[in-house]
Amino acid sequence: MKITRSSLKRTFSFSWRDLLVSAAIFLCATGVCVLLHQMADTIDGFASPVYVLAVLLISRFTNGYLFGLIAAVLGVIGVNYVFTYPYMAFNFTISGYPLTIFTFLVVSLVTSALTTKTKEQDRLRMENEREKMRADLLRSVSHDIRTPLTSIVGATSAILENPALSPAEQQSLLRDVRDDAQWLIRVVENLLSITRIGNDSAKITKEPEAAEEVLDEAVRKFRKRFPAVSVEVHVPDELLLVPMDAILIMQVLSNLMENAVFHGETTTHIALSAQRDGSWARFYVRDNGQGIPPQKLHTLFSGALRCEDSTPGDGKRNMGLGLSVCMAIIRAHGGTLEAKNLESGAEFSFCLPLIKEDAK
Amino acid sequence: MTIREKILVIEDEKSISHFISTVLNNNGYEAMQAQTGEEALSMISSHCPDLVILDLGLPDMDGLDILRSLRSWSSLPVVVVSARSHERDKVAALDLGADDYLTKPFGTDELLARVRTAIRHTRTISGNDEIARNGTYTVGELVIDYNKHQVRVRGENVHLTLSEFRIVALLGKYAGKVLTYDFIIKELWGPRASGDNQILRVNMANIRRKIEKNPAEPEYLFTEMGVGYRMAEGN
Repeated sequence: MKITRSSLKRTFSFSWRDLLVSAAIFLCATGVCVLLHQMADTIDGFASPVYVLAVLLISRFTNGYLFGLIAAVLGVIGVNYVFTYPYMAFNFTISGYPLTIFTFLVVSLVTSALTTKTKEQDRLRMENEREKMRADLLRSVSHDIRTPLTSIVGATSAILENPALSPAEQQSLLRDVRDDAQWLIRVVENLLSITRIGNDSAKITKEPEAAEEVLDEAVRKFRKRFPAVSVEVHVPDELLLVPMDAILIMQVLSNLMENAVFHGETTTHIALSAQRDGSWARFYVRDNGQGIPPQKLHTLFSGALRCEDSTPGDGKRNMGLGLSVCMAIIRAHGGTLEAKNLESGAEFSFCLPLIKEDAK
Repeated sequence: MTIREKILVIEDEKSISHFISTVLNNNGYEAMQAQTGEEALSMISSHCPDLVILDLGLPDMDGLDILRSLRSWSSLPVVVVSARSHERDKVAALDLGADDYLTKPFGTDELLARVRTAIRHTRTISGNDEIARNGTYTVGELVIDYNKHQVRVRGENVHLTLSEFRIVALLGKYAGKVLTYDFIIKELWGPRASGDNQILRVNMANIRRKIEKNPAEPEYLFTEMGVGYRMAEGN
């Protein structure tokens, strides 16, 4: 029962956009007919095809059957009442008239049906793509999780089962366990960020936040984890308030900083900055590491999610998850993310719109 | 032998409870464990702990309810433990009278620092010895002079406006403790002030520019994203 009602609703869905589109097309058709009418003495021959075309277009560019059918009825009236002799009067006795009515209805129904079907297919394709992305994500995450878990189980078993291990050996095994667990925490934090974005990109709640506060907290957390890397932060004198979900943007900043350490390999210094760029706020994360391999640079974001089978072994963790989470977060904010190589090191930058686009 | 401060750890995950207790026991405290809210409430009244570490996600009761019922008769310091996904709970807990919070996952040094601060705050009435003694609060090169109503950095008066001074003074009075946006706004502009924290943000940005060497790397005034602000603790 519920299903039929909802499908009925979809079939006869109403929206102001569709109404506007329909009205515009219909007025155009009427305009054309009026013009033709003034140019030629009689347009009995022209009105029908013009209106059929209008009905076809309306059926094509609106959702469901509602507007197509209304247009068909109006078209029939228009042709019969206004543009066919006798003008401004109904005459249902013209020969072949039932055929005209029939044509209008069939055009409307067939076009609406085709349109609905195409849209359904688009939706299915989108769903498939999303499903595929989810599968890729799962694969990437499982990959990211398996290695540290193996090492944790191995190291702790080694300690428990070998009481003869020297304290130094125990310490070093335990240190590995802690590092691996911290890695896992980061993976989980990224996953939590994804659930926070949700499926619908419009769902995040933006609040105006001070750029310096976000940078400060991200850097403080980073310093706790990587005390050996020096971090320098620069913000403009003028307070920069940026609409954002601060928790998510902090995730982006820490992912970019961690990538700078893990993948820059020789990174000892990271510079963060934020500045106003017209109606955008632009954030930079620059490092002095070995930079991004040129062959990877152009597929960095597009292939980010794919767990590369070509990477030798699974000892080296891919940066897939972290970067794709950054991408998803920035995109959900309506911003852009870019990467390039500097003379020495890499630069990631992203910008966020300063104006809330509530209108959308 | 010295008397060790008793700390009640209310946490249903045994492994977490275990590691917290081990750390506390090895750092001069005496840890007790409670797995459920009911057990916790009865242990609080029978054992009178000096501090409570409360996990907000308990199986039988909402952690906030425990806090509420505890605050109805006691000002015992409470440090709340919560997962990252519950920021609203964190703010709610602080507004209900929790003294501090820890976000899972946390390190042992963070745990001990929070515990130390929370216990110290209950020992002194104004929350800060130095203010009571000299009318000043000092941290690093920053001095808040409560009598003269001024803030000095390296001996220089930094000329804060009245509201700026009141914010700094308030944070200094509760140094080490995070104050929620709501709390600061109500203290400054009265209970009927609007919940909009934009004015506070702008004030804080100005204060940072006057006090800190680099506003993006503050030494004295820290931001707790989505929760509030915290003043660095003195020596």
